[in-house]
Amino acid sequence: MKYLSFLLSNPLCSLVLTVVCYGLAVKLHQRWRWIPPIVVACLPIAALLLVAHQPYAVYNRGGSLLTWCLGPATVALAVPMYRNGLVLRSSLPRLALIVFIGVVVAMATAGGTAWLLGAPFPVVMSTVPKSVTTPIAIEVCRQLHGIPQLTIALVVLAGVFGATFGPFLLGLFGVWEDRAVGVAMGISSHGIGTASLVRRSEMQATVSSWAMAATGVFTSLLGALLSVFLR
Amino acid sequence: MFDLLRGLAIIVAVSLAGGWLHAHGAPIPGGVLGLLLFYGAMVTGVLKLRWVDRAANLLLRHMVLLFVPLTVGLIEIGPVLSRQAVAIVVSLIVSFLAVLLTTGLLARWLLRPVETRATETAEVSR
Repeated sequence: MKYLSFLLSNPLCSLVLTVVCYGLAVKLHQRWRWIPPIVVACLPIAALLLVAHQPYAVYNRGGSLLTWCLGPATVALAVPMYRNGLVLRSSLPRLALIVFIGVVVAMATAGGTAWLLGAPFPVVMSTVPKSVTTPIAIEVCRQLHGIPQLTIALVVLAGVFGATFGPFLLGLFGVWEDRAVGVAMGISSHGIGTASLVRRSEMQATVSSWAMAATGVFTSLLGALLSVFLR
Repeated sequence: MFDLLRGLAIIVAVSLAGGWLHAHGAPIPGGVLGLLLFYGAMVTGVLKLRWVDRAANLLLRHMVLLFVPLTVGLIEIGPVLSRQAVAIVVSLIVSFLAVLLTTGLLARWLLRPVETRATETAEVSR
């Protein structure tokens, strides 16, 4: 038990523990595609914290370094956006319009439904950025005074829904065309949805990856506007 | 290796610049400001894609690792959330379906092949 507490409370050890759990989760994900790595990576760490009766803050001294790296990861999203933007040049204005409308629908329906069902303010605000890629969703959630952990859980679920049912549901409504499927998946299911398209069609993945980054940008712009109104 | 380090240094610098702007009054989150600066720098040719390609791919491929610590924090708010579970799950499903289908159908209409659009205009003009 003493060793367990040390393992969790020493920043370097908890960092190594996190990386090891992530590595195992990625291996499992390669074997069984439907297992989201984020869930597998977190479970052992959460279990250890509960067993050792250590508060989360103790573990997070090492973890906060990784959280900081989300900033650079957000910046790095510009690279696929730029590269795919070159390919899609002629349809970019129409794609941007679709993304913008999608973002408005996403923020309004998520927050609106939660509010109508009587959820408290921080929970409502945490649902608003749920279709955006995680690093941006966290920033928007913080700006709206939501609960970042809840937003992450919702983002992951939206991604898994999309990867599992997205193309099937779109097909039911007669949406087959590569760019249409790609843009709808990128807006509703960000990186997890995009990754699931890679093996289906290169065009779908390209559009989806561009749409996911654009969704992040539009959501943070509207989120900033919303936070001004809430003040 | 040099490629990777140079790319990482550039990305971290842009990210810090975004954070600095946000701290000094810009209303958009720092990471997104960095993204926009970075995109602008590539469009104008100030930064070359090949300088940052490898570093960006590394960060994006292992992005899941970066949000593990925050997600573990769910154990602290679990009891609060279980009381709101219905509202949260219903909102997630409603919003997911609304977004997927609105954008998919809108895209099918807006991005329909050029030939059909040309015939439609021809029919209208006739």
